[in-house]
Amino acid sequence: MRVRIWGTRGSYPVAQANMLRYGGNTTCVEVIAGERHIILDAGTGLRVLGDACKQNQASLQHLDLLITHTHWDHIMGFPFFAPLFDPMLRLDIYGLARTQSSLRTTLAGALSDPLLPLTMDDLRAQINFFEIGAGHSFELGPVQVRTALANHPYRALAYRLETPDGILTFIPDTGPFHTVLFGDERIEWTGQPTARSQSDLRELAAMKAAILELAHGSDWLIYDAQFTDAQYARFPHWGHSSASQAREIAEEAQVRQLILFHHDPHRTDEELDRIVAEQQALAAPGLLVTAAFEGMELRRKL
Amino acid sequence: MKVRFWGVRGYVPTPNAAMLRYGGNTCCTAVTGDHGELVILDTGTGFCLLGDELMQGEFGRGRGSLTLLISHTYWDHILGLPFPGVVHIPGNRLDIYGPESTRGSLQMVYDGMLSPVYSPVYGLAHIGATHRFTTISTEPFTIGRLTARALPLSRRQHSPIWAYRLEEDGRALVYITDARYGEEGIRDEAIAFAQQANVLIHSAPYLRDEQVEDYGQSRIEDAIEVALLAGVEQLLIFHHAPTRTDDELDAIVAHFRAWLAAQNSSLRLIAAAEGMELRV
Repeated sequence: MRVRIWGTRGSYPVAQANMLRYGGNTTCVEVIAGERHIILDAGTGLRVLGDACKQNQASLQHLDLLITHTHWDHIMGFPFFAPLFDPMLRLDIYGLARTQSSLRTTLAGALSDPLLPLTMDDLRAQINFFEIGAGHSFELGPVQVRTALANHPYRALAYRLETPDGILTFIPDTGPFHTVLFGDERIEWTGQPTARSQSDLRELAAMKAAILELAHGSDWLIYDAQFTDAQYARFPHWGHSSASQAREIAEEAQVRQLILFHHDPHRTDEELDRIVAEQQALAAPGLLVTAAFEGMELRRKL
Repeated sequence: MKVRFWGVRGYVPTPNAAMLRYGGNTCCTAVTGDHGELVILDTGTGFCLLGDELMQGEFGRGRGSLTLLISHTYWDHILGLPFPGVVHIPGNRLDIYGPESTRGSLQMVYDGMLSPVYSPVYGLAHIGATHRFTTISTEPFTIGRLTARALPLSRRQHSPIWAYRLEEDGRALVYITDARYGEEGIRDEAIAFAQQANVLIHSAPYLRDEQVEDYGQSRIEDAIEVALLAGVEQLLIFHHAPTRTDDELDAIVAHFRAWLAAQNSSLRLIAAAEGMELRV
């Protein structure tokens, strides 16, 4: 299993000199395992990935695109992914099944007039949609995929990709599991924890247990670390974690390498360097703390 | 009037070291009237930077007021709107002008863009600033002491694209983006609309001989022709292609400046860059 990170930023892309080392494109991660070519999320990093394939004249015949959720920063690269217009490509898109709107309708709506002048028919690739839920398990070639629910507004999926030579867990957007429980409704922050009923607390505990189980023993855990602890204290209702919350999950799940991800659009390279150093100093023995940067490659050392 | 460019890239933001001099944020241009009116032309990701700066002033205290003139609702012209704190602080006022699509009013398009499948905002109702939508027509309107006019740049009623002209004390700025000059009559109407403008800001991502999917956009040569036929003083091209590096853009501008000089034209051609400011 080889992993390459094409987009690391959360919320919206940033094009600033003091943020380019970690990168300004939004979330997109590529996984290659044997013949299988898998992409996690379709943020603006996906456009760069597509252009790189074209430049290398790599002909793509079959891609699996696993989408955590369809907030703009996770789909903003989709229509600019050049292989979409290649009739030789088969693209299988996986995403969270929702009762309110199908994955196809959500993507088609984003692409079509008056938001963009495209229709699904303009996308010449053969596209198939697969709507999945939490706790779902399936195989993509040599890769065993499992899902769990992340604690994020309107819900999002988390993915574990496992092969004999690597385990990657991808949780780009999630709040912690103690203060706010996200569901269909928007949460207004009143300064008090919103999960106070016993059933809410049970649901949060179950969600955390499922996330820990999903991430357990991963070689690499890519995890939401958008906030500083101070930001989290002000905006717990936005569904993001801090680097220290990410580290605690990584420790509990006994992962080898934590990869802080979904960087805040205001976070400079130097701030990220400092955050990594702080968390590494606090980390349990055996846990390597890093932050995702554009172009980062992961491969299990033999 | 004063103009400042906050985002000049077209289609999709480009965080790329070779494109930072012109800039990687998508379309957002701010016009400030001599009496302080703040008018924003489109809210691509450049609006996120502008919003951060506005937070330092009256907007940070919930006492700011701005007018948004939206040309159309493609991603690169609207997706920056919900992120800056300024739109979430009660007390701030947003006056949003834009075209109506046969598929829904401007307000409905924004509400859809902010709906929970796409955005953690969960819809327009949760934008904390006071906001008012006005559907534009060809009737002139005023923003403080500025006079504004609008013109359709496409006949596609379900996906309207409009131009704006702002005037103050006899000086005029015209903003044309994503014009579909391939459609009957649009080019002539745009030329009449831009007549004698001191500044014409015109989208121009590609050259005529580039084979690309551009959604029916005008090309760099179109922008220059329209500027020449309208008797414009200064042409600022923007909406730069996401693949265009700074050096390539320099070369393109140099090429067309040489061509203009050979024609004895007095038209000033500039490629707009993020952070660039000028007086109209």
